[in-house]
Amino acid sequence: MKNINWSKYSKPIILVAFCVILTILRPTTFPTVSNIANVLWSVSVIGIMVCGTIFVFLVGGIDLSIATLCGFSAVVVVEVIHMFGDTTMGVFVGILAAIGVGALAGCVHGLIITTFNIPAFLVTFATQSVFLGLSMVITNNKIVSCTAPAAFTAIGSMKILGFPLPIYFMIVIAVLSWFVLRKTVFGRWIYAVGGNPAASEISGINVKRATILCYVFSGMTTAIGGIVLASMTRQAMAATGSGYTNDVITAGVIGGVSLLGGVGTVPGAIFGAVLMGLLNNGLNLLSVPSTHAGLVKGLVIIIAVGFDAMQHRDQSRKKSGFAFFKKKNA
Amino acid sequence: MKEMNQTTLRRLISVGLLAILIALFTAMVGAGSGKFLNAENLMAIVRDASVPGIIGVGVTYVIITSGIDLSTGSMIALVGMVMANVYAYTLLPIPVMILTGILAGLLCGFFNGFIVAKLEIPEFIGTLATMSVFRALAYIIAIKDANGVIMSQPMNVSQYAFLGSTIGGSSKGIPYVCVALVIFVVVGQIVLRYTRFGTNLYAVGANKKAATLSGINVERIRMMAFVITGFCTAVGAVFTTARLQSATTALGTDFEFSPIAAAVVGGVALSGGSGDVVGTLIGALFMATLENGVRKLDMNTAYQYVIKGVIIICVVMFDAVYKKRMDRIAKEKGAKEGLE
Repeated sequence: MKNINWSKYSKPIILVAFCVILTILRPTTFPTVSNIANVLWSVSVIGIMVCGTIFVFLVGGIDLSIATLCGFSAVVVVEVIHMFGDTTMGVFVGILAAIGVGALAGCVHGLIITTFNIPAFLVTFATQSVFLGLSMVITNNKIVSCTAPAAFTAIGSMKILGFPLPIYFMIVIAVLSWFVLRKTVFGRWIYAVGGNPAASEISGINVKRATILCYVFSGMTTAIGGIVLASMTRQAMAATGSGYTNDVITAGVIGGVSLLGGVGTVPGAIFGAVLMGLLNNGLNLLSVPSTHAGLVKGLVIIIAVGFDAMQHRDQSRKKSGFAFFKKKNA
Repeated sequence: MKEMNQTTLRRLISVGLLAILIALFTAMVGAGSGKFLNAENLMAIVRDASVPGIIGVGVTYVIITSGIDLSTGSMIALVGMVMANVYAYTLLPIPVMILTGILAGLLCGFFNGFIVAKLEIPEFIGTLATMSVFRALAYIIAIKDANGVIMSQPMNVSQYAFLGSTIGGSSKGIPYVCVALVIFVVVGQIVLRYTRFGTNLYAVGANKKAATLSGINVERIRMMAFVITGFCTAVGAVFTTARLQSATTALGTDFEFSPIAAAVVGGVALSGGSGDVVGTLIGALFMATLENGVRKLDMNTAYQYVIKGVIIICVVMFDAVYKKRMDRIAKEKGAKEGLE
């Protein structure tokens, strides 16, 4: 009993505790079918994107362009559909085009970062501005609505077995990411590259190619997130997806992904996405104004990451530093 | 000696990049039209570079310790709102109001330093969190009308608003904020280069473990860097609100990365341990020139975003190529010396 490693179970416990608290606070509105669907919708967009960006985090990179790339791909899919006269064919081409744009963007990120050895932070900071500009050019800075072919609106609004379709996308992408990271040689490479790029290079890993592929995959999931968002809201504009950069990075970090690279798992990232979804939903149900929600979100990050850092410190630091932070039976 | 040469060369490169950018815009806007290259516009560029430059002094310190501070934009809004509250609800004199704002900035910086140095939360995540916390606090303390709608608080008393104008008040004079910029850069550079604290900043950034072993209080140095950033940001906020003569919750939106971009363009490495305040100043001037020049092109804002992004990428790529070359030359030199 004494030797139970609580940190192993802390994530599910936090989620259950969160749901219990929300159920107690809002017994009539939180545990309803329609609200759970809302939570899942919100979770799925963040979840889809974080499953791809985790690859970038694992090789020690970061992507600040998530929000604007998401908006750009939303604009691309909607514009292509209009170009094809709102047909189902257009939807297929549009989705392919948007995912292609995402992959291309990721490829450009990866190439610049690896060829010139520039911090990912800077490159994606610059491209965020480029993507925003491009979406504004395409849309002429207006909202483009798209309600026409059923094939498009179904992406965001169809339900299978009572669950919204995007949640299935998220599950598929999460399983795929998990499989690649855990069960393939490529996955081992990624952890190795994130842990120690120099050592990986020496041991024969093609660090450059692995890194570029990570950015490509991240770009593709970001684009899928953008398509889902466009379908859910039935419109696209340059500002589609704004705010998602922080939400996705936060989801990853809460899920135990280290931004220094080499540490993090897909289940952890999904946990982060679910927690962010619950948090967004809870703040909404408790009628906290969206402007104040940042306070809660920020404090949640500080507490979650601070708690995590504390546990690591307990493990590494044997001598008594902070009596307050010291675990009794470490 | 060799290292000294490298620093000088790096400085020459940054200045060169700035010169190229100015030449580029002069050509693109049209040298004949005189819209870009004239004294008034150049002064406007320096004025635009001032607030990012002042805040950049603190941000440079943080980045030298291999940290990062993403919360400065939100901090501007919070400091502005604190001052607006003092202005609206108390009869305290203006200097006290400014001091309260600066105190708020110091507290924000201290909070950042505390979570980063004491709680050991990585800088990027910690300040990403405080970025939303400070912004939300600004909204919470914002002055609202009877229906709870946020109002922008005018602060147009002359004792305060003069800070936003120029010396002598004429449109051609030197703005006060530029004077502050010069003071901050000079003091910041002296502290960085000629005091023990400055040396310690570099030591912490280059190798935390080695710094700890050589008796440097790493925790305190890192906290100090964040507190100084808080101070610089508060001063920046004072000048910003004085110029706008009002405080709004949207102050400093999209500003988070400006001082960081300025520092990096100016040669401060995000990996820590190198760069200085003068470099950041050149970087801030570069970014302001870029903004100004793109605006003067009379293009759709959409294209402005694209051009801005592309130019930043080109500059960093150029910088990276240059750095690689310098490293290779240094290595070859070292090998040669070894042979001899």
